[in-house]
Amino acid sequence: MYVAARVDNDKCSGCKVCIFTCPDPNVIKLNKEAKIVAINEARCKGCGLCVVACPKKALNVSS
Amino acid sequence: MSKNIFRISPGFEDIMPDEYKELVESGPYGKDLGVSDMGTFKELLEEHPLCAGCGLALSLRLILASLPNPEDTVIVGSTGCSALAFPQVAVHNIHSLFGNQNAVASGLKRALKLRFPDKVKDVVVIAGDGATADIGLDMVMQSWFRSESITTIMLDNEAYANTGGQESGMTQQGAVMNMAPKGKNFPKISLPEIAREAGCSYVASISPAQPKRLEKMVRRAILTAREVGPSYVQIFSPCPTNYKFKPQETVSRIKQHQKEGHYQTKEYINTAAQEYLASIEEGKKNE
Repeated sequence: MYVAARVDNDKCSGCKVCIFTCPDPNVIKLNKEAKIVAINEARCKGCGLCVVACPKKALNVSS
Repeated sequence: MSKNIFRISPGFEDIMPDEYKELVESGPYGKDLGVSDMGTFKELLEEHPLCAGCGLALSLRLILASLPNPEDTVIVGSTGCSALAFPQVAVHNIHSLFGNQNAVASGLKRALKLRFPDKVKDVVVIAGDGATADIGLDMVMQSWFRSESITTIMLDNEAYANTGGQESGMTQQGAVMNMAPKGKNFPKISLPEIAREAGCSYVASISPAQPKRLEKMVRRAILTAREVGPSYVQIFSPCPTNYKFKPQETVSRIKQHQKEGHYQTKEYINTAAQEYLASIEEGKKNE
């Protein structure tokens, strides 16, 4: 089953490490005001690189 | 090739795809943006066909975000996985015959110098290890011998990944591939050392596990090629599909290789390039 990455808004600190490790453009974007990232689930391939890289463990790809 | 080229022609605003409109509105052209600003601008169009967890796609994104002057840059690519994402790249680009990329780039750079003598035009070759170290090594080395003002960036995924997984010159000794079932007999080519000996003014090897350092090295390489001489950057971009590891392990695999000494971050700058880069970097600090 195809699963896209999801972000836990309470844990995200907006550090952008996930953006630097995402191989696809514009899947993860930064909301500057809220200082959290937003994931475009329709375009995410679910590779999980961002999940491994996130220092706050705010992302996951498991259903 | 002015910055205006990225505007939509009048009358076509309504029929252009939303992705393209967004690219024109929030692309990096004419703004001083870098890797730290990623996520706030768009460096290539969405939905490239490279695999999930592809190290090469990650490297390509970081390279595009690192270009010092994207609106006046021409990228020359070659056959391989990276070529699959080139139609989505928002920079002028050429696809050349397998291995010919440095010869095409040399001619292009000379033509741009004649056509736009007062403008800065960067020519950057982005190709895989097969095109750079195996099939195109002749053209690559000859461009270095001739001191052509171009930057060569090799995306090293240690295989011919696009054709099912044959061993390349950059594959580690002993590595077993889909189409090299007995394991590779010969050691990996030391292309950074060859580049240095062949006359490159700036040589670096890096991986996308260090994005800000990668940005610094790519910028230094392009600036060196502008004023001093040819430059070469090798970027380790592992392939989850052919090496059969999980897509989420790409970055950890890079770190493991670095820890074991199979791949090292290196930088060589000759005296002329050192002086030039020091003057630029000092000028930026004083701003």
